[in-house]
Amino acid sequence: MNADFAVPAREAPRPSALGRPVVRPREPLPSEQTAPKVAIKDVSFYYKKFQALKNINLVLHDKRVTAFIGPSGCGKSTLLRILNRIYELYPGQRAAGQVLVDGQNILDPAQDLNLLRAKVGMVFQKPTPFPMSIHDNIAFGIRLYEKISPSQLDERVEEALRRAALWDEVKDKLTQSGLSLSGGQQQRLCIARAIAVKPEILLLDEPASALDPISTQRIEELIAELKSDYCIAIVTHNMQQAARSSDYTAFMYLGELVEFSETETMFTHPHERRTEDYITGRFG
Amino acid sequence: MTVANGLYRRRRAANTVYLTLSWVATGLGLAVLFLILGELLWKGIPALGIDFFTKETPGPGSTGGGMANAIIGSVFMTGLATLVGTPVGVLTGTYLAEYGRDSYIAPTVRFVNDILLSAPSIVIGVFVYGIVVVPMHSFSGWAGAAALAVIAVPVVVRTTEDMLKLVPGSLREAAVALGAPQWKVIVLVTYRAALQGMLTGVMLAVARIAGETAPLLFTAVSNQFTSLDMNREMANLPVVIFNFANSAYGNWIELAWGGALLITFTILILNIVARVLASWSNRTS
Amino acid sequence: MASTLTVETRRRVDSQRIQDAAFRGATRVFAIGVLVLLGAVLVSLAMGAAPAFDKFGWRFLVGQSWNPVTENFGALPAIYGTLVTSLIAMLIAIPLGFGIAVFLTELCPPALRRPIGTLIELLAAIPSIIYGIWGFFVLAPVMAEYVQPALIGSLGQLPVVGALFSGAPFGLGVLTAGLILAIMVLPFIASVTRDVFLTVPPMLRESAYGVGATTAEVVRHIVLPYTRTGVIGGIMLGLGRALGETMAVTFVIGNANRLSPSLLAPGTTISATLANQFAEAKDDMYVASLFALGLILFVITLLVLAAAKLLLLSLDQRAAK
Repeated sequence: MNADFAVPAREAPRPSALGRPVVRPREPLPSEQTAPKVAIKDVSFYYKKFQALKNINLVLHDKRVTAFIGPSGCGKSTLLRILNRIYELYPGQRAAGQVLVDGQNILDPAQDLNLLRAKVGMVFQKPTPFPMSIHDNIAFGIRLYEKISPSQLDERVEEALRRAALWDEVKDKLTQSGLSLSGGQQQRLCIARAIAVKPEILLLDEPASALDPISTQRIEELIAELKSDYCIAIVTHNMQQAARSSDYTAFMYLGELVEFSETETMFTHPHERRTEDYITGRFG
Repeated sequence: MTVANGLYRRRRAANTVYLTLSWVATGLGLAVLFLILGELLWKGIPALGIDFFTKETPGPGSTGGGMANAIIGSVFMTGLATLVGTPVGVLTGTYLAEYGRDSYIAPTVRFVNDILLSAPSIVIGVFVYGIVVVPMHSFSGWAGAAALAVIAVPVVVRTTEDMLKLVPGSLREAAVALGAPQWKVIVLVTYRAALQGMLTGVMLAVARIAGETAPLLFTAVSNQFTSLDMNREMANLPVVIFNFANSAYGNWIELAWGGALLITFTILILNIVARVLASWSNRTS
Repeated sequence: MASTLTVETRRRVDSQRIQDAAFRGATRVFAIGVLVLLGAVLVSLAMGAAPAFDKFGWRFLVGQSWNPVTENFGALPAIYGTLVTSLIAMLIAIPLGFGIAVFLTELCPPALRRPIGTLIELLAAIPSIIYGIWGFFVLAPVMAEYVQPALIGSLGQLPVVGALFSGAPFGLGVLTAGLILAIMVLPFIASVTRDVFLTVPPMLRESAYGVGATTAEVVRHIVLPYTRTGVIGGIMLGLGRALGETMAVTFVIGNANRLSPSLLAPGTTISATLANQFAEAKDDMYVASLFALGLILFVITLLVLAAAKLLLLSLDQRAAK
């Protein structure tokens, strides 16, 4: 083996289908005193007979941003979608293993899905405003689980829009349709909608990939701000974005977790050859 | 290229013949449309006076008269049929689009629905005769409305399913991701997104049943007088037109043309508006 | 997660589960209702028709006389009329509908495609009673004065074919009914064929034109084979409609419960018989015989439509692969 890329001696490598050793996630850094918010243990995922995820093990820490990167088809979106079990909408898709959120396994069949999704918010790649007014877009989620007065509702709507850095642009047109906003604004609306219900975890699936560079930058700034309140997992194909915005990065390839470490380490001294190849643009 | 020349000329000639036939076919089709519309306008407009809309159908031999009771009866029965048929059709279409993905029933229902869509409407009339007129021992407005409802439902099912399927999956996922129960996702988000398309479906259903004669021939039959009593025969435009056109009385025939004009243009307008609505909703989505 | 569950939230979650089940159940009930409806129609028709089949048995299908007075009912004239008028209609409508579809997909200037296509579809929206009265007041006299005498004079003089065009130029009859039916079915076949033609991948057509094929050749050798199943399915759907068509036919077919070799003679179809006689039929065997006619018509159209749908479904499956 090439001495430059020797696997650290403290773990015995396990054989993987690709013939290269799989790196186990590192122990929590000395700075992380608390237990992780989310622990993904031996998770596999199947689209009918096809296995899209193979034995994934990693953790997500609260008030941190974890980025999932990798080439198209590596399974990063699939992994994200396990965290709120949105794949349950589609017959033939199933997950195996455990995902512990605050110690409770959300893959348990007894887990109420609607409750789970009220606690785990998701923002999608393409902005998806509901065909309603801006106000109702935000209010929709709140009304599902809380009985509050109209004035309290308005306050919550304003709070969410402020948090999403959209309030100033829409405060005069709350009754207009959500579809009347620009792409970047629509996406911020979707973010506001997701945080309005006060989730604990935020899943962002390539949130800026459909947006222009300026909107992308604003979204990234937003994520940096939101980090202080939520545990955030973000899928991105934009490596620079991952390097800029995240605390931890997981690099995936063909359904396997190749490497998982602090972002700074990942991008300066990656352990795996494949990671380095991907990051330096040799493939993907 | 000398060998190809003769062959090429023949090919060109054949091509010209076929294409000319295509032009002729289209010309014929359009000509017939304009001939029919023209005749309707020519013969029908003279009949459309105030009397047409205010006077009852004249008895045999009497002069003048109008189609007021027929218009009222048609509006009533069409309206009732739409009122009953729309929810049934929408719910069935919802089942096919939203819940039917992994069931065996859905493909069968779709298949049967499409067959009913093209089934002869006179047979529907016979069916409703058997299950409504016979037990009631009389023709009735109820039977007429029932027959029209049976014809309207497959139309609404089809358009509802098609329109719901056009709503992007990401919209549903976004609602589900907020923790909304499935029925709220469908009713509050998906229906709203597909609303224009579903309205189009209802309009097309109305256009379809507004002109149907056969199913009314022996369910509601007709009534010479204005009557809102649904338990008895109810006048309606198509059957009155049928009876009057086949007769020997001049005023009856004239009224028949007037009624025909009224029905045709109502249906054409409904169709055009439905089309415009559908293309609008396509542009915004 | 469990720690954040309040009593109210739990109640909401439980009621949501019930609401979901109720809504889903309701949609399912109505969906099954469609199946029940089809069954109900068949059963109701069969029950109504039973007395007639009891009395006449299979002879009902081939009996030529339809006599309410002697209560001797035979369906043959009606079945014959239904089949012949539909056949005439398809013979005319298929090539014409085809030609229109070719026009709309290959020949028409792009700006005119939508408007003309819409006009053709509006032709399909016109209710059949309008076609009926137009046929009665406009087409039939034209047939009687010009077309039919010409046919009698020309084709009517030929040895074998002549029998089809013999008799008095009535105007009303099987031929006129077939013509009206053709006009009714035409827009439907044109639309469906056009829609099917549009599924041909542009690259396929372009590569055919690219080697120098004429338009007619592209249609004949590329478009048609590619869309064969869809076109046949569309034709069968059109046939299903033609078989069941009532009002247009009733006005112009002459309503004579007789069999005649001549196309110019008045005749009847199943639907026309039902339209004219059902409301007045009072005694039981009469009504039962009419029910029997209805059942026969329903079964025929059911078979044709089901076959058409199966064909079109196999087309969809192939396209999906």
